[in-house]
Amino acid sequence: MFCLAEIKDTVAVHPSNFGAPAEDALVSELNKKYANRVLHDVGLCICVFDIKQAGEGKVRYGDGFLWYKVVFRMVVFRPITSEVIIGKVKSSDEDSIRLTLGFFDDLYIPAAYLPQPSAFDPNERAHFWIPDSELTTKTELLETPTSERMYIDSGEVVRIRVESDEFYDDEPGPPKATEGVQVKREPKRAPYIVTCSIAEQGLGPVAWWNNAQEAGQEDDDMDQG
Amino acid sequence: MEVLNPRAALLSNYEVLTLLKELEADHLSRSKAALKVKKDESATDHGISIAPPSNNTLPPNTPNLEPSENLRTIEVEAISYLSSDYLPTCKQTEQGISKLVKDLASYSLTKAEKLQIVNLAPTLPVELYVIVEELEDRFQDNIDEILQKVEASLSGASGSVPHINGTSAAASTAASTVVTVMEEDTWDEDGAYEEEDFDDTGAGAGIEGDLEMDDD
Repeated sequence: MFCLAEIKDTVAVHPSNFGAPAEDALVSELNKKYANRVLHDVGLCICVFDIKQAGEGKVRYGDGFLWYKVVFRMVVFRPITSEVIIGKVKSSDEDSIRLTLGFFDDLYIPAAYLPQPSAFDPNERAHFWIPDSELTTKTELLETPTSERMYIDSGEVVRIRVESDEFYDDEPGPPKATEGVQVKREPKRAPYIVTCSIAEQGLGPVAWWNNAQEAGQEDDDMDQG
Repeated sequence: MEVLNPRAALLSNYEVLTLLKELEADHLSRSKAALKVKKDESATDHGISIAPPSNNTLPPNTPNLEPSENLRTIEVEAISYLSSDYLPTCKQTEQGISKLVKDLASYSLTKAEKLQIVNLAPTLPVELYVIVEELEDRFQDNIDEILQKVEASLSGASGSVPHINGTSAAASTAASTVVTVMEEDTWDEDGAYEEEDFDDTGAGAGIEGDLEMDDD
Protein backbone atom coordinates (compact mmCIF):
# COMPACT_ATOMS: atom_id res chain seq x y z
CA MET A 1 0.00 0.00 0.00
CA PHE A 2 2.78 2.38 0.93
CA CYS A 3 6.16 2.56 -0.68
CA LEU A 4 9.23 4.74 -0.81
CA ALA A 5 9.91 6.92 -3.84
CA GLU A 6 13.33 8.35 -4.48
CA ILE A 7 13.19 11.94 -5.67
CA LYS A 8 15.79 14.56 -6.53
CA ASP A 9 14.97 18.21 -6.11
CA THR A 10 16.44 21.64 -5.42
CA VAL A 11 15.23 23.17 -2.20
CA ALA A 12 15.47 26.74 -0.96
CA VAL A 13 15.85 27.41 2.75
CA HIS A 14 14.72 30.78 4.01
CA PRO A 15 17.26 32.78 6.06
CA SER A 16 14.95 32.73 9.08
CA ASN A 17 15.55 28.96 9.25
CA PHE A 18 19.35 29.13 9.12
CA GLY A 19 19.47 28.63 12.88
CA ALA A 20 18.00 25.16 12.62
CA PRO A 21 20.05 22.10 11.68
CA ALA A 22 20.18 21.96 7.88
CA GLU A 23 18.53 18.54 7.80
CA ASP A 24 15.51 19.68 9.79
CA ALA A 25 15.12 22.76 7.66
CA LEU A 26 15.27 20.70 4.46
CA VAL A 27 12.80 18.10 5.70
CA SER A 28 10.44 20.85 6.73
CA GLU A 29 10.68 22.52 3.30
CA LEU A 30 10.20 19.22 1.48
CA ASN A 31 7.18 18.33 3.58
CA LYS A 32 5.71 21.74 2.86
CA LYS A 33 6.13 21.13 -0.84
CA TYR A 34 5.10 17.49 -1.18
CA ALA A 35 2.95 16.32 1.74
CA ASN A 36 -0.63 15.47 0.76
CA ARG A 37 0.04 16.08 -2.93
CA VAL A 38 -0.26 13.65 -5.79
CA LEU A 39 2.88 13.24 -7.86
CA HIS A 40 2.17 12.14 -11.41
CA ASP A 41 2.89 8.43 -11.88
CA VAL A 42 4.31 8.23 -8.37
CA GLY A 43 1.36 8.42 -6.00
CA LEU A 44 0.04 10.39 -3.06
CA CYS A 45 2.91 11.76 -0.99
CA ILE A 46 2.61 11.31 2.76
CA CYS A 47 5.83 12.65 4.24
CA VAL A 48 9.61 12.62 3.89
CA PHE A 49 11.19 9.35 5.01
CA ASP A 50 14.83 10.39 4.98
CA ILE A 51 17.36 12.48 3.11
CA LYS A 52 19.80 10.40 1.15
CA GLN A 53 22.10 13.06 -0.16
CA ALA A 54 22.32 16.80 0.13
CA GLY A 55 24.76 19.13 -1.52
CA GLU A 56 26.29 22.26 -0.06
CA GLY A 57 23.81 25.11 0.30
CA LYS A 58 24.47 27.86 -2.21
CA VAL A 59 23.37 31.47 -2.24
CA ARG A 60 22.29 32.70 -5.64
CA TYR A 61 22.16 36.18 -6.96
CA GLY A 62 18.90 37.90 -6.17
CA ASP A 63 17.73 36.36 -2.93
CA GLY A 64 19.12 35.35 0.43
CA PHE A 65 17.97 31.77 0.30
CA LEU A 66 20.31 28.81 0.61
CA TRP A 67 19.69 26.47 -2.32
CA TYR A 68 20.35 22.78 -1.71
CA LYS A 69 20.38 19.93 -4.19
CA VAL A 70 18.75 17.07 -2.34
CA VAL A 71 18.07 13.40 -3.01
CA PHE A 72 15.45 12.14 -0.60
CA ARG A 73 12.99 9.34 -0.04
CA MET A 74 9.31 9.99 0.30
CA VAL A 75 6.62 7.79 1.82
CA VAL A 76 4.05 7.45 -0.94
CA PHE A 77 0.60 5.88 -1.03
CA ARG A 78 0.39 3.78 -4.14
CA PRO A 79 -1.30 0.41 -3.85
CA ILE A 80 0.04 -2.38 -6.02
CA THR A 81 -2.32 -3.79 -8.64
CA SER A 82 -4.24 -6.76 -7.20
CA GLU A 83 -3.38 -5.73 -3.65
CA VAL A 84 -6.11 -6.20 -1.06
CA ILE A 85 -6.90 -3.20 1.12
CA ILE A 86 -9.61 -2.28 3.59
CA GLY A 87 -11.63 0.89 3.21
CA LYS A 88 -14.94 2.47 4.11
CA VAL A 89 -17.84 3.23 1.81
CA LYS A 90 -18.14 6.99 1.37
CA SER A 91 -21.08 7.20 -1.00
CA SER A 92 -22.85 5.31 -3.74
CA ASP A 93 -24.43 6.30 -7.02
CA GLU A 94 -25.86 4.56 -10.08
CA ASP A 95 -22.51 3.74 -11.66
CA SER A 96 -20.13 3.22 -8.82
CA ILE A 97 -19.39 3.06 -5.12
CA ARG A 98 -16.93 5.58 -3.76
CA LEU A 99 -14.63 4.53 -0.94
CA THR A 100 -12.45 6.38 1.50
CA LEU A 101 -9.33 5.52 3.46
CA GLY A 102 -9.51 8.67 5.55
CA PHE A 103 -6.49 10.28 3.93
CA PHE A 104 -7.45 9.26 0.38
CA ASP A 105 -10.98 9.45 -1.06
CA ASP A 106 -10.69 8.59 -4.72
CA LEU A 107 -11.21 4.85 -4.71
CA TYR A 108 -14.10 3.70 -6.88
CA ILE A 109 -15.80 0.37 -7.44
CA PRO A 110 -17.55 0.57 -10.82
CA ALA A 111 -20.84 -1.32 -11.06
CA ALA A 112 -19.21 -3.92 -13.30
CA TYR A 113 -16.86 -4.91 -10.46
CA LEU A 114 -19.69 -5.61 -8.00
CA PRO A 115 -20.62 -9.19 -7.22
CA GLN A 116 -23.30 -10.33 -9.70
CA PRO A 117 -26.26 -10.14 -9.71
CA SER A 118 -26.43 -6.74 -8.13
CA ALA A 119 -28.38 -3.54 -8.61
CA PHE A 120 -28.66 0.00 -7.34
CA ASP A 121 -31.61 0.74 -5.10
CA PRO A 122 -32.53 4.41 -5.63
CA ASN A 123 -34.61 4.52 -2.44
CA GLU A 124 -31.79 3.41 -0.19
CA ARG A 125 -29.11 5.07 -2.35
CA ALA A 126 -27.06 1.91 -2.09
CA HIS A 127 -26.07 -1.07 -4.17
CA PHE A 128 -27.20 -4.50 -3.12
CA TRP A 129 -26.22 -8.04 -3.98
CA ILE A 130 -28.45 -11.10 -4.01
CA PRO A 131 -26.38 -14.20 -3.44
CA ASP A 132 -27.22 -17.38 -5.35
CA SER A 133 -29.87 -15.75 -7.47
CA GLU A 134 -30.83 -16.57 -11.07
CA LEU A 135 -32.22 -13.12 -11.72
CA THR A 136 -30.31 -10.89 -14.06
CA THR A 137 -32.28 -7.84 -15.15
CA LYS A 138 -32.45 -4.77 -12.99
CA THR A 139 -36.24 -4.66 -12.82
CA GLU A 140 -36.41 -8.24 -11.63
CA LEU A 141 -33.82 -7.55 -9.00
CA LEU A 142 -35.64 -4.50 -7.72
CA GLU A 143 -38.81 -6.53 -7.25
CA THR A 144 -37.20 -8.94 -4.81
CA PRO A 145 -38.12 -8.69 -1.12
CA THR A 146 -35.76 -6.43 0.79
CA SER A 147 -34.89 -9.13 3.28
CA GLU A 148 -33.02 -11.13 0.62
CA ARG A 149 -30.84 -8.23 -0.42
CA MET A 150 -27.39 -7.66 0.93
CA TYR A 151 -26.83 -3.93 0.92
CA ILE A 152 -23.52 -2.16 0.73
CA ASP A 153 -24.38 0.84 2.88
CA SER A 154 -22.23 3.91 3.28
CA GLY A 155 -19.94 3.76 6.27
CA GLU A 156 -19.54 0.03 5.89
CA VAL A 157 -16.02 -1.42 6.07
CA VAL A 158 -15.18 -3.27 2.86
CA ARG A 159 -12.31 -5.40 1.68
CA ILE A 160 -11.36 -4.53 -1.89
CA ARG A 161 -8.91 -5.57 -4.52
CA VAL A 162 -7.10 -2.88 -6.48
CA GLU A 163 -7.68 -3.38 -10.20
CA SER A 164 -5.96 -0.36 -11.72
CA ASP A 165 -4.95 3.19 -10.99
CA GLU A 166 -4.89 6.27 -13.16
CA PHE A 167 -3.28 9.67 -12.94
CA TYR A 168 -4.70 12.81 -14.49
CA ASP A 169 -2.68 15.91 -15.02
CA ASP A 170 -5.20 18.69 -15.43
CA GLU A 171 -2.82 21.56 -15.91
CA PRO A 172 -4.57 24.37 -17.71
CA GLY A 173 -3.02 24.58 -21.16
CA PRO A 174 -2.16 27.79 -22.99
CA PRO A 175 -5.20 30.03 -23.53
CA LYS A 176 -6.89 29.46 -26.87
CA ALA A 177 -9.15 32.49 -26.73
CA THR A 178 -7.23 34.15 -29.59
CA GLU A 179 -8.73 31.67 -32.02
CA GLY A 180 -12.15 32.87 -31.06
CA VAL A 181 -13.22 29.39 -30.06
CA GLN A 182 -14.85 28.94 -26.71
CA VAL A 183 -12.91 26.37 -24.77
CA LYS A 184 -15.07 23.68 -23.27
CA ARG A 185 -14.27 23.27 -19.62
CA GLU A 186 -13.97 19.69 -18.58
CA PRO A 187 -15.24 18.91 -15.12
CA LYS A 188 -12.34 18.74 -12.71
CA ARG A 189 -11.07 15.24 -12.26
CA ALA A 190 -9.24 13.92 -9.27
CA PRO A 191 -5.50 13.71 -9.98
CA TYR A 192 -5.24 10.11 -8.85
CA ILE A 193 -8.02 7.53 -9.07
CA VAL A 194 -7.85 3.93 -7.94
CA THR A 195 -10.31 1.45 -9.43
CA CYS A 196 -11.19 -1.47 -7.20
CA SER A 197 -13.22 -4.63 -7.37
CA ILE A 198 -15.30 -6.63 -4.91
CA ALA A 199 -16.52 -9.22 -7.43
CA GLU A 200 -14.79 -12.14 -5.81
CA GLN A 201 -15.24 -14.56 -2.93
CA GLY A 202 -14.05 -12.97 0.29
CA LEU A 203 -14.24 -9.39 -0.95
CA GLY A 204 -16.91 -6.84 -0.11
CA PRO A 205 -18.21 -5.77 3.28
CA VAL A 206 -16.06 -7.41 5.96
CA ALA A 207 -19.17 -8.23 7.96
CA TRP A 208 -20.51 -10.53 5.21
CA TRP A 209 -17.59 -12.88 5.50
CA ASN A 210 -16.93 -12.65 9.19
CA ASN A 211 -20.57 -13.52 9.90
CA ALA A 212 -20.29 -16.62 7.77
CA GLN A 213 -17.52 -17.83 10.04
CA GLU A 214 -19.03 -16.62 13.26
CA ALA A 215 -19.80 -20.15 14.47
CA GLY A 216 -16.12 -20.97 14.59
CA GLN A 217 -15.28 -17.62 16.11
CA GLU A 218 -17.81 -17.97 18.88
CA ASP A 219 -16.18 -21.17 20.00
CA ASP A 220 -12.90 -19.37 20.23
CA ASP A 221 -14.47 -16.59 22.26
CA MET A 222 -15.94 -19.11 24.66
CA ASP A 223 -12.53 -20.66 25.13
CA GLN A 224 -10.94 -17.33 25.81
CA GLY A 225 -13.70 -16.27 28.21
CA MET B 1 12.22 17.89 -9.54
CA GLU B 2 13.15 14.51 -10.87
CA VAL B 3 11.82 11.15 -9.84
CA LEU B 4 14.74 8.74 -9.59
CA ASN B 5 12.76 5.70 -8.56
CA PRO B 6 8.99 5.77 -8.02
CA ARG B 7 9.04 2.56 -6.00
CA ALA B 8 12.42 2.16 -4.33
CA ALA B 9 11.08 0.00 -1.50
CA LEU B 10 7.83 -1.21 -0.04
CA LEU B 11 6.69 -0.18 3.42
CA SER B 12 4.36 -2.02 5.73
CA ASN B 13 1.49 -0.19 7.36
CA TYR B 14 3.16 -0.62 10.73
CA GLU B 15 6.28 1.20 9.57
CA VAL B 16 4.26 4.07 8.20
CA LEU B 17 2.23 4.32 11.40
CA THR B 18 5.38 4.38 13.54
CA LEU B 19 6.93 7.06 11.35
CA LEU B 20 3.81 9.21 11.49
CA LYS B 21 3.47 8.81 15.23
CA GLU B 22 7.07 9.92 15.68
CA LEU B 23 6.34 12.98 13.54
CA GLU B 24 3.25 13.73 15.58
CA ALA B 25 5.13 13.41 18.87
CA ASP B 26 7.82 15.68 17.47
CA HIS B 27 5.26 18.33 16.52
CA LEU B 28 3.58 18.13 19.89
CA SER B 29 6.81 18.56 21.83
CA ARG B 30 7.84 21.39 19.55
CA SER B 31 4.58 23.27 19.92
CA LYS B 32 4.71 22.71 23.68
CA ALA B 33 8.22 24.14 23.82
CA ALA B 34 7.13 27.12 21.77
CA LEU B 35 4.18 27.68 24.11
CA LYS B 36 6.43 27.47 27.13
CA VAL B 37 8.86 30.01 25.72
CA LYS B 38 5.93 32.29 24.97
CA LYS B 39 4.60 31.94 28.51
CA ASP B 40 7.99 32.62 30.09
CA GLU B 41 8.48 35.72 28.02
CA SER B 42 5.04 37.08 28.72
CA ALA B 43 5.62 36.43 32.42
CA THR B 44 8.89 38.39 32.44
CA ASP B 45 7.49 41.14 30.26
CA HIS B 46 4.45 41.51 32.42
CA GLY B 47 3.99 45.04 33.67
CA ILE B 48 6.50 46.58 31.24
CA SER B 49 3.70 47.81 28.97
CA ILE B 50 2.91 46.59 25.47
CA ALA B 51 4.07 43.06 24.71
CA PRO B 52 5.45 42.62 21.19
CA PRO B 53 3.49 40.42 18.76
CA SER B 54 4.00 36.72 19.28
CA ASN B 55 6.28 36.06 16.29
CA ASN B 56 9.48 37.21 17.96
CA THR B 57 9.06 35.25 21.16
CA LEU B 58 11.21 32.31 20.05
CA PRO B 59 14.91 32.57 20.81
CA PRO B 60 17.04 33.01 17.70
CA ASN B 61 18.61 29.57 17.98
CA THR B 62 15.35 27.67 17.54
CA PRO B 63 13.71 28.88 14.37
CA ASN B 64 10.08 28.03 14.17
CA LEU B 65 9.96 25.16 11.67
CA GLU B 66 6.21 25.04 11.63
CA PRO B 67 4.77 21.97 9.95
CA SER B 68 2.68 22.83 6.93
CA GLU B 69 -1.09 22.46 6.98
CA ASN B 70 -0.89 19.72 4.36
CA LEU B 71 1.48 17.65 6.41
CA ARG B 72 -0.64 17.98 9.54
CA THR B 73 -3.78 17.02 7.60
CA ILE B 74 -2.43 13.88 6.02
CA GLU B 75 -0.60 12.93 9.20
CA VAL B 76 -3.73 13.05 11.33
CA GLU B 77 -5.92 11.36 8.71
CA ALA B 78 -3.43 8.59 7.98
CA ILE B 79 -2.86 7.91 11.68
CA SER B 80 -6.59 7.66 12.30
CA TYR B 81 -6.97 5.25 9.35
CA LEU B 82 -4.03 3.06 10.33
CA SER B 83 -5.05 2.86 13.98
CA SER B 84 -8.73 2.19 13.26
CA ASP B 85 -10.21 -0.95 14.78
CA TYR B 86 -10.73 -2.72 11.44
CA LEU B 87 -7.00 -2.73 10.75
CA PRO B 88 -4.65 -4.80 12.90
CA THR B 89 -1.82 -2.27 12.73
CA CYS B 90 -2.06 -0.90 16.28
CA LYS B 91 -2.07 -4.41 17.75
CA GLN B 92 1.23 -5.18 16.03
CA THR B 93 4.71 -4.90 17.45
CA GLU B 94 8.08 -4.69 15.80
CA GLN B 95 9.23 -8.00 17.28
CA GLY B 96 5.96 -9.68 16.32
CA ILE B 97 6.28 -8.63 12.71
CA SER B 98 9.92 -9.59 12.32
CA LYS B 99 9.16 -12.98 13.84
CA LEU B 100 6.17 -13.39 11.52
CA VAL B 101 8.27 -12.58 8.47
CA LYS B 102 10.85 -15.14 9.56
CA ASP B 103 8.12 -17.71 10.11
CA LEU B 104 6.63 -17.03 6.70
CA ALA B 105 9.99 -17.41 4.97
CA SER B 106 9.59 -21.19 4.93
CA TYR B 107 6.49 -20.98 2.73
CA SER B 108 6.82 -20.11 -0.93
CA LEU B 109 4.92 -16.84 -0.67
CA THR B 110 5.72 -13.92 -2.94
CA LYS B 111 6.98 -10.66 -1.51
CA ALA B 112 3.67 -8.90 -2.16
CA GLU B 113 1.72 -11.69 -0.45
CA LYS B 114 3.93 -11.52 2.61
CA LEU B 115 3.55 -7.75 2.76
CA GLN B 116 -0.22 -8.06 2.64
CA ILE B 117 -0.24 -10.76 5.30
CA VAL B 118 1.74 -8.41 7.52
CA ASN B 119 -0.49 -5.44 6.68
CA LEU B 120 -3.85 -7.16 7.07
CA ALA B 121 -2.92 -9.91 9.55
CA PRO B 122 -5.57 -12.38 8.37
CA THR B 123 -6.90 -14.54 11.17
CA LEU B 124 -9.74 -16.16 9.20
CA PRO B 125 -9.21 -18.51 6.26
CA VAL B 126 -11.42 -16.27 4.08
CA GLU B 127 -9.07 -13.36 4.57
CA LEU B 128 -6.09 -15.45 3.57
CA TYR B 129 -7.89 -16.79 0.48
CA VAL B 130 -8.21 -13.26 -0.86
CA ILE B 131 -4.58 -12.38 -0.30
CA VAL B 132 -2.88 -15.54 -1.52
CA GLU B 133 -3.60 -16.74 -5.03
CA GLU B 134 -4.61 -20.38 -5.36
CA LEU B 135 -4.24 -20.86 -1.66
CA GLU B 136 -5.64 -24.38 -1.62
CA ASP B 137 -3.38 -25.75 -4.31
CA ARG B 138 -0.26 -24.21 -2.89
CA PHE B 139 -0.74 -24.65 0.84
CA GLN B 140 -3.32 -27.40 1.40
CA ASP B 141 -2.17 -28.36 4.87
CA ASN B 142 -0.46 -25.22 6.00
CA ILE B 143 -3.37 -22.77 5.98
CA ASP B 144 -4.16 -23.16 9.67
CA GLU B 145 -0.47 -23.06 10.48
CA ILE B 146 -0.05 -19.71 8.73
CA LEU B 147 -3.13 -18.29 10.44
CA GLN B 148 -1.84 -19.36 13.83
CA LYS B 149 1.49 -17.71 13.19
CA VAL B 150 -0.25 -14.49 12.22
CA GLU B 151 -2.38 -14.62 15.35
CA ALA B 152 0.71 -15.21 17.50
CA SER B 153 2.38 -12.15 16.01
CA LEU B 154 -0.51 -9.92 17.04
CA SER B 155 -0.65 -10.37 20.79
CA GLY B 156 2.06 -12.72 22.03
CA ALA B 157 5.09 -10.53 21.61
CA SER B 158 4.29 -7.78 24.10
CA GLY B 159 4.75 -9.86 27.27
CA SER B 160 8.20 -11.18 26.51
CA VAL B 161 9.87 -7.92 25.50
CA PRO B 162 11.17 -6.60 28.84
CA HIS B 163 12.46 -10.03 29.72
CA ILE B 164 14.54 -10.25 26.57
CA ASN B 165 15.90 -6.76 27.09
CA GLY B 166 16.79 -7.53 30.69
CA THR B 167 18.76 -10.64 29.86
CA SER B 168 20.61 -9.04 27.00
CA ALA B 169 21.54 -6.07 29.16
CA ALA B 170 22.79 -8.40 31.87
CA ALA B 171 24.78 -10.35 29.31
CA SER B 172 26.41 -7.22 27.93
CA THR B 173 27.44 -5.95 31.36
CA ALA B 174 28.89 -9.35 32.14
CA ALA B 175 30.80 -9.23 28.88
CA SER B 176 32.20 -5.78 29.66
CA THR B 177 33.48 -6.90 33.06
CA VAL B 178 35.16 -9.82 31.37
CA VAL B 179 36.80 -7.43 28.94
CA THR B 180 38.34 -5.32 31.68
CA VAL B 181 39.66 -8.36 33.51
CA MET B 182 41.11 -10.09 30.48
CA GLU B 183 44.73 -9.75 29.49
CA GLU B 184 45.68 -8.39 26.12
CA ASP B 185 46.77 -11.66 24.48
CA THR B 186 43.70 -13.69 25.38
CA TRP B 187 41.52 -10.75 24.36
CA ASP B 188 42.95 -10.80 20.86
CA GLU B 189 42.33 -14.50 20.50
CA ASP B 190 38.74 -14.08 21.57
CA GLY B 191 38.29 -11.20 19.20
CA ALA B 192 39.29 -13.36 16.27
CA TYR B 193 36.30 -15.60 16.88
CA GLU B 194 33.73 -12.84 17.26
CA GLU B 195 33.55 -11.70 13.69
CA GLU B 196 30.98 -8.96 14.15
CA ASP B 197 32.82 -7.21 16.96
CA PHE B 198 36.23 -7.75 15.49
CA ASP B 199 36.95 -4.18 14.46
CA ASP B 200 36.01 -2.69 17.81
CA THR B 201 37.91 -5.20 19.88
CA GLY B 202 40.97 -4.87 17.68
CA ALA B 203 41.05 -1.11 18.11
CA GLY B 204 40.41 -1.25 21.84
CA ALA B 205 43.06 -3.90 22.35
CA GLY B 206 45.55 -1.89 20.34
CA ILE B 207 45.09 1.19 22.52
CA GLU B 208 45.43 -0.82 25.69
CA GLY B 209 48.65 -2.31 24.34
CA ASP B 210 50.06 1.12 23.56
CA LEU B 211 49.32 2.38 27.04
CA GLU B 212 51.06 -0.58 28.60
CA MET B 213 54.11 -0.06 26.43
CA ASP B 214 54.28 3.56 27.58
CA ASP B 215 54.12 2.44 31.18
CA ASP B 216 57.08 0.17 30.61
